[in-house]
Amino acid sequence: MTDLFDHLLLGFSVVLSVQNILLCLVGCLVGTLIGVLPGIGPLATIAILMPLTYNSEPAGALIMLAGIYYGSQYGGSTTAILVNMPGESSSVVTALDGHAMARQGKAGKALGIAAIGSFIAGTFATLVIATLAIPLSKMALSFTAGDYFALMVLGLSLAIVVAGGSLLKAFCMLIIGVIMALVGANPVTGEPRLTFGSDVLYDGFDVAIVAMGLFGIAEILRNLDSPEGRPFVRDAVGGLLPTREDMRKSAGAITRGSLLGSVIGIIPGNGATLSSFVSYAMEKWVARRPEEFGRGAIQGVAGPESANNAAAQTTFIPLLTLGLPSTATMALVGGAMTLHGVIPGPRVISQHPDLFWGMITSMWIGNLMLVIINLPLIGIWVKFLKVPYRHLFPMIVLICCVGIYSINSQPFDVLLVGIFGIIGYGLHKLRFEPAPLLLGLVLGGMLEDNLRRGLILSGGDIGVFLGAPLTLALLTAAVIVVGSALSPSIARKRQQLQEED
Amino acid sequence: MTSEPMDIRRQDTVPCYARINVIGGAVMVFIAGLVWCGAITLDLGTIADFGAGAMPAALSIILAAAGGVVLILGFIQRDEEAERVEFAVAPVAILAIAIAMFGFFVRGGDFGLVSTPQLGLMVVGPLTVFIAGCATPEMRVRELLPMSFGLTAMVLLVFCDILSVTIPVFPKLIQDTVSSSFGLDVAMRGVYLAYGALAATLHVALPGVGGNRRD
Repeated sequence: MTDLFDHLLLGFSVVLSVQNILLCLVGCLVGTLIGVLPGIGPLATIAILMPLTYNSEPAGALIMLAGIYYGSQYGGSTTAILVNMPGESSSVVTALDGHAMARQGKAGKALGIAAIGSFIAGTFATLVIATLAIPLSKMALSFTAGDYFALMVLGLSLAIVVAGGSLLKAFCMLIIGVIMALVGANPVTGEPRLTFGSDVLYDGFDVAIVAMGLFGIAEILRNLDSPEGRPFVRDAVGGLLPTREDMRKSAGAITRGSLLGSVIGIIPGNGATLSSFVSYAMEKWVARRPEEFGRGAIQGVAGPESANNAAAQTTFIPLLTLGLPSTATMALVGGAMTLHGVIPGPRVISQHPDLFWGMITSMWIGNLMLVIINLPLIGIWVKFLKVPYRHLFPMIVLICCVGIYSINSQPFDVLLVGIFGIIGYGLHKLRFEPAPLLLGLVLGGMLEDNLRRGLILSGGDIGVFLGAPLTLALLTAAVIVVGSALSPSIARKRQQLQEED
Repeated sequence: MTSEPMDIRRQDTVPCYARINVIGGAVMVFIAGLVWCGAITLDLGTIADFGAGAMPAALSIILAAAGGVVLILGFIQRDEEAERVEFAVAPVAILAIAIAMFGFFVRGGDFGLVSTPQLGLMVVGPLTVFIAGCATPEMRVRELLPMSFGLTAMVLLVFCDILSVTIPVFPKLIQDTVSSSFGLDVAMRGVYLAYGALAATLHVALPGVGGNRRD
């Protein structure tokens, strides 16, 4: 316990420098700013803003990145509540009751409870991370290559099951992502592979470039497709602070949401989305008057928002302790860490303790900032929602171009982003969800490496490789996950989830 | 994410070659083929110590199988379930031109087939915004013009001045002249101040913009 406080203290000592607080603040603000724009989800926001962090030193950069992450999540919820356009699947359920509240002139209250719930959940999740990080990373160090391989297979299976759309298509995307990860210099011999004689491919595919193309530029093309149907935004958001009655109603929902989200977020796979759905279902189940749900029940906002924020935070656990990102967003965060010379994995804590604990405490600070800064600024966000899209997208294009150029000062990277943008648009048109591709791209190299080492250690005997108890258990779990997703009843649930999207 | 199944569902039958799943599946099989061709030239190794080509080869087979199933499902699905592929070519092309323009001319350089001069953000920025802005039919020149300069000024201020990102601001010729007479930083600040002023002037001067920018 004293250890925990020592660690948090170390973290605060890192975060509480003028520069880092400023970076956290800027991250939260620009994250919200971009995240609040309709049609731009957190993933696209982070992809677009990532280059902003490249010029700071590692700790500052990661703190800013965490700020962007929370800002964009919160911005997404704002859009969901005010205009009923959820930026990503985790705020789909927020839109149900949140927007109903907005139509009743209680948008401010919905936003207020979302922020307060998120903050409480975030505080709880921060403690969960701080408590679990060390034991989990110790455990991770005892994992064999085979265990790691199996764990990745499990995580990727969960990722394609939670991804929207056809399971088979998500699987195709995942495989392509893994293949893309293998393009470039062979890690063992350094000879080129799958480069088809091109020098450009020798360095492999850069996660940032692929993400910005597939999510940033492609998203613009998708939005340009549909004629501008900008929904009407009410000017009156009403009072921001929930009444005592509202708090009493939401307290249970926030508590349950925090617990639920923290647990689900740790499991590899898209925790934030899953937890918000589960929390909504649970609140509806325990509610005294379930018929209020969908018509502006405050618990229907408080529960899922707390859950998805807690999960969004504990999703960092697999990344920071095992080095395995469980969502595409985490894959990007992992990519940014690597860029700063911090390889995500069990050794982060011991090798960069200041950075690790700084990042964890910055999560809490970021959440706090969202409450005390964003709520008063709600009027500005509402104004942003009213900016017509034709004014927005040229700006995003320019920021993407400047951002991607600034990473490596390579003009060719800009062209690649354009190409991936077109590919992403094509994939969308063919109903392929590109998120698993990004995950495959990040994990592909590790997947191959661990499989190879595992097979070397077992002397090429697949029986021995699969026979290790943990490996076997994890792989069985992966098979069950995919198998159950194929079963009719769950397939129907997935379908529903996708239609609500 | 995929939210327009309703309007795409056409009343008349969709020919096989235009079905989403047929094209999607075919693309996957094609990619698998490409990867396979790249993989077989590499060393496959043994199970105990597999070579560089093993994973790509295995994955290309899996991808071909999965893509093949998508393809077959596309062929055998009922007519009323089939969806037609529709691409909007114009916005894609315009956005591609805007991004390519930025890539080719921001610093210039040798791109294999062509080599281009450096024009710098000062020239490329407004052009990128303007070209990109043309991608929507709702484009209005009198809005886009002040935006082009205003956004470039903003990017120069935020990225180049505050975040000190290294990105060429001036065309090569001007850069050489400027750096010898007075500092590039000063000149850069001059540019964004001038662009900001220009944007404001255009915004006021061009008829019909003032006041209803945020409609």
